[in-house]
Parts: sequence; C-alpha cells; structure tokens
Amino acid sequence: MSKRLFVTPYRCTDCKNCEVACSFVHTRNPMKPALTRVRAYTLMGEIKSVVLCLQCEDAACQTVCPTGALTRNPDTGAIDRTDACILCKACTMACPFGNIHFDPAYEEIVKCDVCGGDPACAKYCPTRALVWAEEPSPDLDPEEEIEVMPLPWAMTMPAK
Amino acid sequence: MSAALSFKNPEALLAYAEKVKKYRQQRTMEIRVCAGPGCIARGGREIFSAIKATIEKNKKELKKKNLEVGVKFEAKCTGCHGLCEAGPVVTFEPSKLFYSKVKIKDAEEIVEKTVLNDEIIKRLLFKSCDSRGGDLIKKYTDIRFYALQTKVALRNVGVVDPSNLDDFIAEDGFKAFVKALTEMSPDDVIEEIEKSGLRGRGGAGFSTGKKWRSAKRVKQDRVWIICNGDEGDPGAFMDRAIMEGDPYSVIEGLLIGAYALGATDGFIYVRHEYPLAVKHLQMAINTLEKAGLLGKNILGTGMTFNLKISRGGGAFVCGESSALMRSLEGKVGEPRAKYIRSVEKGLLDQPTVLNNVETFTCVPAIIDKGSSWFASIGPKSSTGTKAFSLVGKVKNTGLVEVPMGRTLREIIFDIGGGIIDDRPFKAVQTGGPSGGCLPVDKLDLPVDFDTLSRAGAMMGSGGMIVMDDRTCMVDIADYFIRFLIGESCGKCVPCREGLRQVHELLDRIIRGDGELDDLKKIDRLCHTMEVASLCALGKSAPYPVTSTIKYFRDEYMAHIEEKKCPAGVCKSLVKYDINKDCIGCLICKKQCPVDAISGENKKLHVIDQDKCIVCGICYEVCPVDTVDIISGGEIVNRRELEVVNP
Amino acid sequence: MPKDRSEKVRVTIDGRSIDAEKGKSILEVARECGIEIPSLCYHPGLESFGACRLCVVEITKPGWEGWKKLVTSCLYPVEEELIIDTRSEEVRENRSVVLDLLLARVPESDVIRQLAAEYGIHDTSYTKREDADTCIMCTICVRVCDAIGANAIATLSRGPDKYVDVPDKDACIGCLACALSCPTNAIPFEEFVNGKRKIWGREFDLVYDEISHEPIGTPEQIDHFAEKSGLPKEYFLKSDKVRKKETAVTFARVQF
Ligand SMILES: Cc1cc2nc3c(=O)[nH]c(=O)nc-3n(C[C@H](O)[C@H](O)[C@H](O)COP(=O)(O)O)c2cc1C
Ligand code: FES
Ligand code: FES
Repeated sequence: MSKRLFVTPYRCTDCKNCEVACSFVHTRNPMKPALTRVRAYTLMGEIKSVVLCLQCEDAACQTVCPTGALTRNPDTGAIDRTDACILCKACTMACPFGNIHFDPAYEEIVKCDVCGGDPACAKYCPTRALVWAEEPSPDLDPEEEIEVMPLPWAMTMPAK
Repeated sequence: MSAALSFKNPEALLAYAEKVKKYRQQRTMEIRVCAGPGCIARGGREIFSAIKATIEKNKKELKKKNLEVGVKFEAKCTGCHGLCEAGPVVTFEPSKLFYSKVKIKDAEEIVEKTVLNDEIIKRLLFKSCDSRGGDLIKKYTDIRFYALQTKVALRNVGVVDPSNLDDFIAEDGFKAFVKALTEMSPDDVIEEIEKSGLRGRGGAGFSTGKKWRSAKRVKQDRVWIICNGDEGDPGAFMDRAIMEGDPYSVIEGLLIGAYALGATDGFIYVRHEYPLAVKHLQMAINTLEKAGLLGKNILGTGMTFNLKISRGGGAFVCGESSALMRSLEGKVGEPRAKYIRSVEKGLLDQPTVLNNVETFTCVPAIIDKGSSWFASIGPKSSTGTKAFSLVGKVKNTGLVEVPMGRTLREIIFDIGGGIIDDRPFKAVQTGGPSGGCLPVDKLDLPVDFDTLSRAGAMMGSGGMIVMDDRTCMVDIADYFIRFLIGESCGKCVPCREGLRQVHELLDRIIRGDGELDDLKKIDRLCHTMEVASLCALGKSAPYPVTSTIKYFRDEYMAHIEEKKCPAGVCKSLVKYDINKDCIGCLICKKQCPVDAISGENKKLHVIDQDKCIVCGICYEVCPVDTVDIISGGEIVNRRELEVVNP
Repeated sequence: MPKDRSEKVRVTIDGRSIDAEKGKSILEVARECGIEIPSLCYHPGLESFGACRLCVVEITKPGWEGWKKLVTSCLYPVEEELIIDTRSEEVRENRSVVLDLLLARVPESDVIRQLAAEYGIHDTSYTKREDADTCIMCTICVRVCDAIGANAIATLSRGPDKYVDVPDKDACIGCLACALSCPTNAIPFEEFVNGKRKIWGREFDLVYDEISHEPIGTPEQIDHFAEKSGLPKEYFLKSDKVRKKETAVTFARVQF
C-alpha cells in the first residue's frame, strides 16, 4: 500500500512550519512564502485549520486542462503539473478548493506534488496535523479519527 | 449515337465499342479544330463555331459530294495539338493536312475550298523553321516538331473531342479498364505497373507500382486515391492539356488504380485557375456515372468508385502532397512536417495514393499494351515517355512528348526548332521554378530523372524554359527566387527566412554592391535550405541559384568584381550610350520618356546619364543600331551576334 | 494506444545506448535522458510543428553504410537501431545558419541573441528585418489557442510576409495563454489598465473576486472554460486564495 497524506485539521496550530517548508522546497531563489502550496489558517481568531491539494480522484483541474498537462503520477499518487502546460490558468479557476495557483513571477502553474513522495509539510509538522503514511496515525483514537477524517477528498488518494 | 449510354456489363461496353468503330469507318473526312489553352486564347473556339456554321450552310452541298455530316464528315473541337506557336491550329483527317494561324474569316474558305474541293489554302500552311527558306509543309506528320515525338500520355489530346464519350471509346477508351477488370486480379495490375517501371510524373519520380503496393500493404479498410492536377509551375501546361483535352483517359487511369487498390473514393484536385479542366472533367464524370462506369456496381461487377473534383487552394505549394491533402480536408493548404508517408497516413490519416495527371494517363496505356512495351521505351531507370511544355526563347513553343533519354539538344533544336532569331542558346531551365539551369555543354545530356538531378537540375513536372544570350543568369536566379518567395508557405525558417536572404544577397549582386563573400554566404544558405527545409519546395528552392553559380560562375564574378552584367540586363550595372555613327534622326530623342537625350537633326545625339533611367527604349527604336549598352566599361550589345548555335 | 507506448526500442544518442519508448520523438527521448537539444517551436503540450528547424540532429543506421540524414528531432520517431548524433559538425552548421537567419529576423530578441551566442554568432551575417518585432513564427500561440478551443489566432499571408494575428477579435477570450507561452515574448499585453486587460488590440473587462477583490479572469475566459469543461460556472467566480480559505472553513466546520 502506498503512502497518502492524512489531514487532521483540528491538530493544526497555525505554526506555519508547513508553509515555510513547502516554499523552501518549491520556490527557487529567493524563497517565496507566498507561493506555498499548503496553507495554515486561523479562522475567526481562534480555529486553526490546514489546507492542501486533495489530489482528487475526479479532479476539476484535470477535466478543464486543454493539453492534459495535469497527470497522475503513478509513483506518488499526486496530480503533477507537467511541461505540457500552456498557462491558460483554467485549472486555477476551476479547482473548487482553491488548491492550484499561478505564479506570475515565474509564469508557471504551481500545485502540490507531495514533494515527489516525501512531502516536506508533513515532515516538519510538529503536531501531526499532516501525516504522510500508509495508515492513519496509530496513536489516534479511532473514535476521534472518524470525527476528523470524514473528508471524502482527503481519502480519495488512490490507494494501491 | 444514343444519348444516355449505360453499360450493364463489360461485354456490353466492348460490343458498343465495336459498333462505334464500325460506324466510324464510314467517315471519310474529319476536321479537328484545336481548343487547347494557346489556341483558345487566339480564338480557337470562335473558329470552330464559324466552321460549324459554314458546314450547316453547306449541308446539301456536302451531301452531294458524299460528305454527309455526322456520318461521312465531322468537324470537332479537340484539346491541344501541341504546336501552340502556330495556333490556332486546324487539322484534317485522314489527309493529315495542317493549317496554322487560322483566323475566323478563314472558316468559310476552309469549308468551301479544302473540304468541298480538296483545294489546299497555301497561306495557312505551316512554314517550317528548320531551314532558312521556310518550306511550306502540308502534313503535320512531316513537321519535325511532330515527327520526332512519341505520344503516350498525350495520345488522345488533340485527337478526341473531350466532351464526347463515343470519341474516346472509338480510340480504344476503357479497353484497358475492361481488361483489368475481367482478365487481371488487382495484384496483377500492380505488378504490371511495377514491371513497366513507370515513375511518377509529378516531380519526385517515385515508382508508381511501388507506391501502390505499399499503400495496399497498410492494413486499413479505406484507401484514398487522388489525382494531382494542381500544376502550379509557371509556364507548364501538360496536365492542363490532358485534363482539358482527354479527361476520360485520366479517369480511366484512376479507375484502374481504384480497382488495383480497392479504393472506393477518389478525388481529382484541379488547379484553381483551370476552370475548363474542371468543366470537362465534371462533364466526363457525369457521363460516366450515367453510363455505369463510376459510382456503384461499375459494369455490373460490384465495384464501387466515387470520383469527385476538388478545386485547388490557389497556391503553388498546394501541389505538394501533404499540403494538397490538408487542403482537401478543408484546412489551409500548407505542407505538414512529418516522417510518415502519405501512403500510410495521408488524407484523414488513412492510406492515400497520390499521383500526377500524366502518371494516371499512362496507366491505361500500360495495361492495354503491356508493361514490356512501356519498359522498352527510354532507358531502364526512367521508362516511357515524358511530356514537356517547351517555352521561352525557342521557336516552336508548345507541348511535346518524347521518349525518356532523348537529349536536351533534340528537344530544343530538333523539336523546338532552335532559338528564336537564331540567337545563341545560353541555358535551359528544367523542373519548374525550383529546377536548375543547364548550360550549352549539358545539351547532350539525356533527359531522364537521374541524369537531370545529377546535373543539378531536375525533371520536375516537365517545364522547360529555354533562354538565349540576352538572359542574365544572376537576374534569372533572382527571378525564380522571387517567385518562390511568393509561393513559400512561410512555415519553416530555412525556406521563409532563407529565401528572403538569398534574394537580398542576389539583389546586392545585381545592384553592383556584391562582394565575393556574398557567394559564400549564398552557398551556406542554400545548403541549409536544401537539407533542413520542411517540404520539397524549400529543399529544391536553391537549385536555380546553385546551378547558375555552378555553371555560370564567371557571370556572377563579372557582376561582383567588374561590376559588369555581360548580358546587359541588370539596370544598375548598365548604361546606354550613342556612338559616333548616329545619324541624328531624332527618333530616340522623341521616344525617351524622361527627355534625357539631347541633339539636333542630323547631329550626334547625347544621352544625359544623370537623367537616364536605363529603360532601353532608345536602344530598341534606333533605326541604325547606334545605341550601345555599356557595362563594366565595355560594350555588351545584345545585337549583331554571329549565329553560333551548336 | 497506451500499450504501444510501453514498447521499447533501442537507440544510440551521442554514443549512449538508450531504451526508448516507441512512438516518442527523438527530442523527447533525448531530453528524458538529460541530453539537451535546442528547440523553439516544440512544446510538450502541443503537436509538433517542425517550423524552426533548430532541433535538427543527424541520424544513421547500421545498414545505411555510413549514409547520414539530417532530421528534425521533435518530429522524427525513435526507431530500433537508430544512431543519433545531436552535436555533429553538420548539425551545428545548420543550427548556426538557422539562428543566424532568426537573428536577422528578430535582432532585438534576447532569447534568440542568447541562443545565437551559444553558437558563436554575435551579429547576423544577413540583412536585418526593418521594424522587427520579436516574433519568430514558431506558432506556439496559434497552437495554444487551438488547444484551448478559442481558435482565435491564425497565421496570415505567405512566405516571408507571414505573420500571426487574431483575424476575428471576438474569438479571443483574453486568457493570455498565448502571450505567456511565447518563447520570445513577442505578444504584448497589459494588465490592470483602468481595471482592464489589453491584448491583440482588444480591451477586456476583468471579473474580480467579490471578497478579496483579486482579478480572476475575463468574463469571456470564464464562460469559455465553464462551457468547455461542463463544470458549474460558480466554480469559476472566486479567486483561488478565497476558495482555499473557504476550504479551510469547511475543514474546520467538519470537525467542530
Ligand atoms: C512545391 C511543390 C509543388 C508540387 N506541385 C505539384 C503539381 O502541381 N502537380 C503534381 O502532380 N505534383 C506536384 N508536386 C509533387 C507532389 O508532391 C507529388 O510528389 C506528386 O503529385 C506525386 O505524384 P507522382 O508520383 O505521380 O509524381 C509538387 C511538389 C512540391 C514540393
Ligand atoms: S493550344 Fe493549340 S496547339 Fe496547343
Ligand atoms: S523544435 Fe523541432 S523544428 Fe522547431
């Protein structure tokens, strides 16, 4: 069974480690935190939550892409943006979760690629709000787990 | 004969052919009025109408003379007779009498004298240009222009009335198709074509049999068959003459091809500027559909073949196979870069056989007379005959067909009658706009695919432009490059940018600003164009330049080093001067458009070089030839040349 | 034909033996192995066009008795036993001439100047085009626009006079993909001039996100993409950042 990203939003403390890690991995010199693919939020002053690409099974970004530039990577399970991209930005407009962006400086489309199979965000998440694993975290209470993992999108990573 | 012909089976067609031939045997006189491209332009059609009208008037008279119209006597309008120079042409069968330069007002005289009283009208006879005296020649078979030709592709052009199926059937039309249908398997047909050694007449000279075989090998349900009648070469009109003058032969070739390949649909792609070809082909298709020779269940054999005409995209490059197919698909007619041959993936990505008009026209002849007959004509590697349109500074311009392997000299001097005004021959350009120019010492080269391309020219589709000493080779190279600039599709860099720069460089040389280095630059550019261009247009575009540099290098050098145009053509390098023999007649002074000539009656005239625009009018009008063309400090007059033709 | 794709053929590129996927072009295979072949009109997302002729390579085969052939690597499919030379004298010569020609066409283009310099060309040996822009006629814009389905850009005229333009201004959806994909930045556009976008001589309104006031795209673009994809139009009316935040809210709501 291959690994997936498990998201447990309520564990997030909005420490922004994930954002820093992500932009560190993905943006070239100079590092641009604004271009992080993962975002942590503090909502209404207190609720924290973390969001990143859900790598949807039936993805809107893929549907709308005219050149088939967004392809599922069989090794990581992520939808990768390839060189076939023609920068029409249809995907950024179509993603219902706002998880694919256009970088005007480098003129390219950016999205989460799970760092090629070793996502930095999960690696540096101190509270295990993001976990890269084959199974949900064993130290989680199964009761709790059901509570926190009801998101169908997060679970739709192709399980091999 | 019967208006709505329809043949239920091959036997019915053969029986009908017998009937037509028998009926025709009663015919004792036939008049053929040429309505080929050249003769139409000079009133061929009107002459035909006038003759027809006169015949109508003299119907009774004719009957009395045992020339009953429609039975024993017929006048018809045919395709090009070939000797366009002498047009409008009217010939008589079976006497083979040949009238040239006929005018409308001659019609009555022709009927009254020649038809009714067997009297020959001397003034209309062809004046031979072979000897200085200009003998009058009665029969066309005695004219060297005709005597030296062998007609295969043009066998019916100028013989049959293109709108009359009976005429075609009387000339053994569809005999070959019936033979293929009834006696041969499709593979037999392909083998026969392959054995004949027939190579495509459209330019590249690819073996037709091989092409058909490889298309057949592709495992696909559908094969397309297309006839390329785009003929965009300036000055070429072989395919036009065939399509206009003998449309049924083209269609018979296509039918045989369709039978061999199992094709059910075909196209004839006709150049946009050939409305008459479209008309004649369409008439032929309509007639054949009614006659059961096109459409479903052809001759009751179950064979289906639908043939459509498509009007060309109006550009030279549309004749290139991938561009043609794109144009047929309704897209812009531009060549497509690909490394997959169209016999595998052509029209709509299905296997497609594309052949030239002349190629298809040869097919029935091969099937009828056998591959060994065809292969016995011409050298082994280039069998059969080839039609050429002979144009330029040659006496007998027109359409000729000769066995492959004849020398350029035979074609230009024996058939063509030599250079106009017996001036010296300078070069012949073969192969259309992107062909090469060959000089005097190549005149004895046999004309076949391989020899020509080895010499730096090419067979192309069969255009032949003859040039005399008044042609500047740098100027002519630039002329062809300019033509190609207008026709390049502009897709790939070497062709689009390369042509522009070659033109710039040639233009510099012509202006007198050329440097030695420019020749090297041209060489380099031409090489890249040849190897790196996308389609054959770009690949062959450098030939006019490379061949002239190769064979007329001294002329380039004269332009560059001495700033001299030896032919006295390039305006920037030429000036006009009046020499001391001037008789002071004032003619040039009056004609000069910019008043650059001063002088009084009976006094030496002088050209003001600052005002002169080098138009050459004074040179043309001077009654005593005292205007000199000066280039590079030397007189390079184009007159007073000893006749030194080889 | 996914099965066909996985079929392998053995080729040699610059002396390296490579197992290549059948059906791929020489250029694709070479790049996958880190062998760089320069190209201008090739785009991985579009059908190869073969216009710039910069990607030429020399090929031969064991049976060819030393005979070599120059081909465009972006089009030529790999074949068994193919021996490819991407750096031969002939290859360099023809690339140099092509770049020299392009430099004459677009003397102001930095991209071409840089490429030419790599081949030792610092000034063109030919006549520079007057009033030159930086378009090299690679037609990537035309093909991009076709891929998007707007079909607004076309090549017009022939030969050296050929140029790209938008003959029917109404067909353009103002998405900027052409300008962003152009290798020589030859398509000028302006953003946010009085809240509008300008390209191909036409002015487009911009749709702004109601909350963040970020620009999303032109109304034409939104309609076009929504219609093409069959996705609800509402999807397209918010900026990606706003939507991301909304996703965070959804996430949070699910757990509390
Ligand atoms: C620029 C260009 C123009 C051409 N024009 C013609 C044409 O007018 N007629 C023709 O038959 N072939 C033309 N050809 C050749 C065709 O591409 C093709 O080779 C030919 O029709 C094949 O028929 P064949 O095998 O009977 O010669 C042209 C080729 C090029 C490159
Ligand atoms: S057109 Fe009449 S002979 Fe050619
Ligand atoms: S990249 Fe291959 S021809 Fe332009």
